[in-house]
Amino acid sequence: MQEITYLPQWIFNIGGFQVTLNVLTLVNSWMIMGVIILFGFLATRKTKLVPNPLQSVAELIVSTFDALVFDALELPNSRRYFPMICGLFLFLWISNIWGIIPFLSEPTKDLNTPLSLGLLGFVVAHYSGIKAHGIKKYVSQYFQPFIFMLPLNLIGELAKVVSISFRLYGNIMGGSIIILVVSHLVYSLVLPPFLNAFFGLFVGTIQAFVFTMLTLVYISVQVK
Amino acid sequence: MLPDAETMVSVASYVGAGLAVGFGAIGAAVGEGYIAGFANSACSARPDKAPDFLKTMLIGQAVAESTAIFALVVAMLLIFMEFPPQYITAVGLVAAGYCMGLGAIGSGIGSGFPAAKACEGMARQPRMTGALTNTMILGAAVCQSQGIYSLVVALMMMFLDFGDRALNPNAAALLGAGLSTGLAAIGAGMGQGMIAGATCEGISRQPMSQAKATGTMLVSQAVTETPSIFGLVVSVLLIFRVWPADTSIVTMAALISAGLCQGLGGIGPGIGNGITGEYALRWVSRNDEAVGALTRTMIIGQAVAQSTVIYAMVIALVLIFVV
Amino acid sequence: MDISGADLVRAFALLGAGIAMGLGAIGPGVGEGYAAGRACEAIGRNPREAGLLTRTMLVGQAVSESTGIYSLVVALLLIFVV
Repeated sequence: MQEITYLPQWIFNIGGFQVTLNVLTLVNSWMIMGVIILFGFLATRKTKLVPNPLQSVAELIVSTFDALVFDALELPNSRRYFPMICGLFLFLWISNIWGIIPFLSEPTKDLNTPLSLGLLGFVVAHYSGIKAHGIKKYVSQYFQPFIFMLPLNLIGELAKVVSISFRLYGNIMGGSIIILVVSHLVYSLVLPPFLNAFFGLFVGTIQAFVFTMLTLVYISVQVK
Repeated sequence: MLPDAETMVSVASYVGAGLAVGFGAIGAAVGEGYIAGFANSACSARPDKAPDFLKTMLIGQAVAESTAIFALVVAMLLIFMEFPPQYITAVGLVAAGYCMGLGAIGSGIGSGFPAAKACEGMARQPRMTGALTNTMILGAAVCQSQGIYSLVVALMMMFLDFGDRALNPNAAALLGAGLSTGLAAIGAGMGQGMIAGATCEGISRQPMSQAKATGTMLVSQAVTETPSIFGLVVSVLLIFRVWPADTSIVTMAALISAGLCQGLGGIGPGIGNGITGEYALRWVSRNDEAVGALTRTMIIGQAVAQSTVIYAMVIALVLIFVV
Repeated sequence: MDISGADLVRAFALLGAGIAMGLGAIGPGVGEGYAAGRACEAIGRNPREAGLLTRTMLVGQAVSESTGIYSLVVALLLIFVV
């Protein structure tokens, strides 16, 4: 049962540093990106007023996130961050569902993916906070409401990154572990497709949405 | 110093059986009593509909009973089955016992809420009897999933062959695994039950909101599932990772501590998420145009409330992998 | 099972870390959940103020988080420093 935590890896040296790449994660991530780019290309090729199915799916996604982002941020920030938020959701959503396809595994099962996306959100949020308020006001917010709250506020900010990344990782990794273990116990009869549907589709969609919404909220809190 | 392995296995199986049924009886009894209380008050409000209330009460109590029955099954298996005479199997049996027992508490209490509120709702709005029964069964069924995770972990610990592993520290790993799933199931079970209860109440007050309320209920319960999923993940890691023989008490303490940490850490956020979902669903029914804003805020609120269970998972993973 | 003095101390430090984080997770979980629940109620009463209410909820939850962070810090100290 060691295959739960085992990922094939390429290990090589660049200038004295040992670089470890998780092959499965990388290959699957690039496949997902390819699928999304292809979808984007096909859906917007011949845009008509009365849309074809692909275009209407794209319109649905864009309009949902348009409403959400404009609700949380005002112009011009919302225009600026909308592509990032929408892209984040699409990548996470397709990644979480990806595991349903046989022989493919979700890149979000590897801690690297959620953690790096969480850091991305963190950097974007703080950068936009500094840009919006200037560096003095940004630094002073860590001393609110009392000056000795500084370490607590710092840890709180880091904890936000940890929490959104690990939540996504835990849910997806946990789902795949449960599917693996239960399939082993029932000899792959009856149960696995329903479990796959629940954990892959349902939980995957919700967790992608939660991650995206939290990133959006963290950005909007910094910018206010 | 210790008696021979076969005696220890017998001792452990009886202790485990006792723990399983002992803890398992708590939740179901509380939940079923809660249902009966509400069924009674519904009968006093609408005596003419008493057969409906009786039927709903019995169905609800049967669903709440199911995790206690799992605990009984585990106890019976522990008492009557033959287990290989190894010390580590003995530890596994005790851990399986309290894992199933603790896991049944949350599901039992949780399943009580939807049935109780459904009875109350039927008294208020007899037309919705069918819809309320369906929502009650759906909501309570999701609550049972925590008991099922505990059952799966308990069965794994009873039936997997641990013979080729060193006693220390793998024994401690098994003890920790039982704690992790068992305790974490308490919070999530109760939380999901609160959410389902509020949904039933909301549907009875506002029958038009049924579709939206049910949808939001499922989303909310899925988010509340997270603490028990983390508990399960830590349990599986503890069970399936084979530790090399290491008689130091430090490693043993680390593994038990990891399980304890994740298990206890799941209780608070599970209940908190339940409270959030309860209020959110109450208001989804009253104001169903605001469903979008409510769902968003509910999900964000639940996600933030889960931060501490995530810290607990980080500490548990650190204790497993770094120490 | 060989138990030496230093080992015993470390073992109990680790147990303490687990208990600290485990029990420490209960309070903020329930408290933040209650805050979020009341926020949902407030939005139900007044959906147009959803943005303001969500932000207020987050600020309140962040304060409630502080004891959880204390537990995390103590747990990490017990694991790595003691």
